[in-house]
Amino acid sequence: MESQIHTLHKKLVSQEISCLDLVKEKLEALKQNTNNTVNSLLEDSALESAKKVDQKIASGESIGLLEGIPFGIKDVYMVQGTYTTASSDLLKNYKSAYTATAIQKLLDAGAIPIVKENCDSFGHGSSSENTIFGAVKNAINPELVGGGSSGGSAVNVAKDYTVFSIGGDTGGSVRQPAGYNNVYGLKPTYGRISRYGLMAYASSTDCVGPIAKSIEDIRIVLNTMSGKDAKDQTTYTSKAITEEAISSNGSIKSVGYFKNFVESDAIDEKIKADFFSAIEKIKAKGIEVKELDFFKSDTLVSTYYTLAMAETASNLSRLDGTNYGNRIESDNLKETYSVTRSENFSEETKRRIVGGNQVLSQGFSDEIYLKGLSLRDQISQNFEEDFSEVDIIISPVTPMSPPKIGDSLKDPLAMYLSDAYTVGFSLGQLPTLTVPQGTETGLQITAAKDNDELVLKFANFLKDTI
Amino acid sequence: MSKIMTVDVLSSIKGAKPSEAVSQLFDVIKNAHTTNNSFNANINNNAVSVNDLREDVVIESSAIEKEIIKENFPKQKKGFLVVSKVIEE
Repeated sequence: MESQIHTLHKKLVSQEISCLDLVKEKLEALKQNTNNTVNSLLEDSALESAKKVDQKIASGESIGLLEGIPFGIKDVYMVQGTYTTASSDLLKNYKSAYTATAIQKLLDAGAIPIVKENCDSFGHGSSSENTIFGAVKNAINPELVGGGSSGGSAVNVAKDYTVFSIGGDTGGSVRQPAGYNNVYGLKPTYGRISRYGLMAYASSTDCVGPIAKSIEDIRIVLNTMSGKDAKDQTTYTSKAITEEAISSNGSIKSVGYFKNFVESDAIDEKIKADFFSAIEKIKAKGIEVKELDFFKSDTLVSTYYTLAMAETASNLSRLDGTNYGNRIESDNLKETYSVTRSENFSEETKRRIVGGNQVLSQGFSDEIYLKGLSLRDQISQNFEEDFSEVDIIISPVTPMSPPKIGDSLKDPLAMYLSDAYTVGFSLGQLPTLTVPQGTETGLQITAAKDNDELVLKFANFLKDTI
Repeated sequence: MSKIMTVDVLSSIKGAKPSEAVSQLFDVIKNAHTTNNSFNANINNNAVSVNDLREDVVIESSAIEKEIIKENFPKQKKGFLVVSKVIEE
């Protein structure tokens, strides 16, 4: 798939299509859609912006590459004046007072947001079923889940309802739905894109991530959103990635994969066979492929969830109906907090808040939370050693194909374990891209910290290789 | 405060109990081998250096921002924002 952004830009500039028609077409498709991808449409503002782009073109002014390109936003990003619900009852009437930095940069570049997209409530889930807007249905087979938590965003891109969408990835929430719906989804290096205005789930792994149908579109959107931001002091200055820099594969000599990921009983036989077939094709191109040792999947999942639950319990403590949210009055302040939170949070969100408060409480914190932090250090060290041996790590995105709608909610532990291949890279804060190739749910490409360029370069190589 | 607080009180969620699925995750951590039990804050250290702190300035919110904040606030009465009655304990 070629860059849709470049194609549409050329059509807009040559006036082959009008921006108004383009935006209307996408809005109409979103209105008609039966995949439950929409939380709210940004119709009025989008049509107004589209008219301005058309006027600019008609008066002979030049437009930027992203100007007039319609895109979607996971409903956990602040966009001033829009409903930002996090797919939750608690915030179903909440309006953003300000705009997230990443989104503002896209607005400044002229891109047009058209939809706030369905997702798991507060990012809590791997299937986009934990939402008040109805389970997101998979783009390829609507009986299956759309993946999560950025399920609505991945389905919208896959169905061409948006040209690109902005998801959020804490433990795999961009990469897994991208894999389930056969599109590209990037979790950049932690800190490359500002989190300011992204509703916090687990702040130490939360990342803003683009979903698109081509590597080039991922590159364009990544470059636009990246950069240091005083409003998120974990951000750093990064260099823009050029199209030329990722077009040839001169520098990648060695690739590694974690043998325990693919030698486990938990992986589907077909995904395993397809993964090894992809490895053979890479070897055939003269690239050295190494087996690497890594932590057991249950250790990775448990470490991730322990830390993520601790962080989300803290982050969501502000949602009490007094400062924010749908307040339900009761006898006194404490009861009001308690009833508001009990009635408005979903079962999965409550499970994670309670788990987080458990690990942070006296008597548990040393045994679980601090040990979790120590394990995370070891995981990071393991990655550092790996990247002294190989340039790229490749892995499946998920051990299994997408589950049927309804199955994930029955068994939360199985849902947590299905994140086995994505959470490790989140803990390591590494750049990782899902490509819609290799296995039914795609492949993940990972490089060392701040080497997002190498990830995109290898993705281009894989496009022509497998 | 030496009082033992249960997870439902800690979480401000009525009737909340530890979940079986989550407890199984914690068991994995309890039984995992670590080379040492102290974590090194420098590995995943994303803290900003003292020399790189942003200016401590008050930025006035725009009129529209103020308007939306008021609109979001759960309750208003005669132009005032209403908070729940505070209890003393």
